[in-house]
Amino acid sequence: MSRLNSDPLAIQTFALTREFNGLVAVNAIDLGIKKGELFSLLGPNGAGKTTAINMLCCLLKPTSGTASIMGHDIIKEPFKVKELIAVSPQETVLSERLNSWENLSLIGKFHGIGPVELRKRSEELLERVGLLERAKDSVAKFSVGMKRRLNLIMALVHDPDVLFLDEPTLGLDPQSRRAMWEYIEGLKGKKTILLTTHYMDEADFLSDRIGIMDGGKIVALGTSDELKNSVSDRAAMIISADNLSAEIIAGLRTPGRYAEVDEVSGQLRVSGKDVDFREIVDYLHSQGVVVRSAAWEQPTLEEVFLLITGKELRE
Amino acid sequence: MRFLEFGKRNLKETYRDPMSLGFLLGFPLVFMLLMGLAFGGETIPEYDIGVLDQDQSQVSQAFVSEMLDRTFEVEPYDDPDQALDDLKAGDIRAYITIPQGFGEQVARNWQGESEDISLDITYDASDISVAARVLAIVDGLTRGFARIEVPVTLNTSPLHLEAKITYIDFIAPGIIVFGLLILIPASARMMVRDKERGFLARLLTTPTRPADFISGYSLCLFVVAIVQIIIFMVVARLFGMDIVGNSGWAFLTFVFTGLCCIGIGMIIASLTKSENQAEPLAWLIAVPLAMISGAWFSIELMPSWLGSFTHAFPFSHAIDASRSILNRGAGLEAVTTDFLFLIIWTVGLFAAGIILFRRSMSS
Repeated sequence: MSRLNSDPLAIQTFALTREFNGLVAVNAIDLGIKKGELFSLLGPNGAGKTTAINMLCCLLKPTSGTASIMGHDIIKEPFKVKELIAVSPQETVLSERLNSWENLSLIGKFHGIGPVELRKRSEELLERVGLLERAKDSVAKFSVGMKRRLNLIMALVHDPDVLFLDEPTLGLDPQSRRAMWEYIEGLKGKKTILLTTHYMDEADFLSDRIGIMDGGKIVALGTSDELKNSVSDRAAMIISADNLSAEIIAGLRTPGRYAEVDEVSGQLRVSGKDVDFREIVDYLHSQGVVVRSAAWEQPTLEEVFLLITGKELRE
Repeated sequence: MRFLEFGKRNLKETYRDPMSLGFLLGFPLVFMLLMGLAFGGETIPEYDIGVLDQDQSQVSQAFVSEMLDRTFEVEPYDDPDQALDDLKAGDIRAYITIPQGFGEQVARNWQGESEDISLDITYDASDISVAARVLAIVDGLTRGFARIEVPVTLNTSPLHLEAKITYIDFIAPGIIVFGLLILIPASARMMVRDKERGFLARLLTTPTRPADFISGYSLCLFVVAIVQIIIFMVVARLFGMDIVGNSGWAFLTFVFTGLCCIGIGMIIASLTKSENQAEPLAWLIAVPLAMISGAWFSIELMPSWLGSFTHAFPFSHAIDASRSILNRGAGLEAVTTDFLFLIIWTVGLFAAGIILFRRSMSS
């Protein structure tokens, strides 16, 4: 955090655009990510997420527009930017014949870290992800989960300000996934993190804010709750009740009153923008229905995502 | 010194991978072993050989009947011109002229005096493998007959060899060059693998320049090439390869050959995206290059147009130069053209490799 300057934004894009042979992969994105924020970028395949991140990591030059990382322009100062960032790629990218020390050492030396500090940081990171005891083993002997953990800490060895995590839990079992979440959560506030994931629960659990990308543009932006509220007509009230009859349900289906009224396994589900809990309960009481329980059901992030992008995830 | 770190990483990846090691060292060694065992001088094929006995002594006649006739299909001649015509027609592989005084030279050796023995051999130089074997056999037979340890002086035509050339002498430089040609697929695979698996992309997000990667790969492959050359030369020597000339010059010839191969590997890695693409392409280049460059048989056996085509590439020059140095003791002045060819090719291939690999990294 010592390197953070007075600019509150760690990542800022200015009409960032990239075309491939006339195909616009990223279309004039303007985005600001605050220092210490964990921002998730969601989107279906081909939405432009990877292209956007590759530009921010200085791996790809924008066709037009630009971006700055910690105040440094990605086109004019790529070397400076590379000193401040780290990427944990989607694929587990390690030197398989090397051990954990050697893998960390390679990246650390590429960042110009001295041997004493490198040793100290490597030991700290290996211990934190439970790999210290196996640190001298060839990485080829590691399980998928161990490799993913090493893949992640390789991005942390030089203590970057901005961290790009591309699908950090891809292919992990639920336990390893949870452990990884906890680790990433521990970095919140200390690092600016841009995370891409196809796991909606992951984005929901970890993110301060979420951006949904589609067709090269950011089509929705906000906190998880803001995004869910933006599709409030998908919110529903679930009511367990006795003596429900077809006529009573039909009464709730007055055209235009609620978006949907369904009965599933003896439970009544009423959804719509203006669902009024008291009004529904009063109505049911007046019809002699005994209401046992009622609960408010928010749309999930996945529902929001599908509603906005209209596409199924394919990765 | 990021390139040193990267070079070290590449070396560790190579020597800790049994497949890579077997591929780079084992394959050519097995090849050399098989060649050495097959043609090391134990089996004697039936060659048709002409003999002109100008000595006409009892000893020379005994040498023909007791030694040569039991080994070769001997055709006696009186007229050298007739022998030459038959050689040209392919009826005989070589003819041996036993000069006057041969019998006395041998007799003196039998009596315990040490005297050099000379024989003249004329043979078809285009079939060097056969010629080399004939020379080796005649040398062995004569020494056995005369009961001497020192090599027999063989006045050979048309090459005027000063020393005997065995098949291993002939084949070893070719196999060393073939072993180095394996650096083409090995280097292409090493570089394209990092590209394919995203390792290069990951390292490119660090404050590094493409030159660090290129030098890191080259450093590693250069070390591998040096180790290969040392091992191959030692093994060839163990199999009986005579080193007549300056082995340092031969070593330098092989170093340039290795660098050419690394350059080609770099170009292939730049033009391909995966190991699956790079490896077949690399073999498609390396194996025909080995074949047409005279690694396994003499270029003189090829049609003249193919021979000329072959000489446009660096590897036939590498083989010619190393054979001249190792087998015939040629000095640097005798192989200047070959050396120049190798240096120009090395510089050209490396320059092209660097430009293309940089371009492939930035894309």
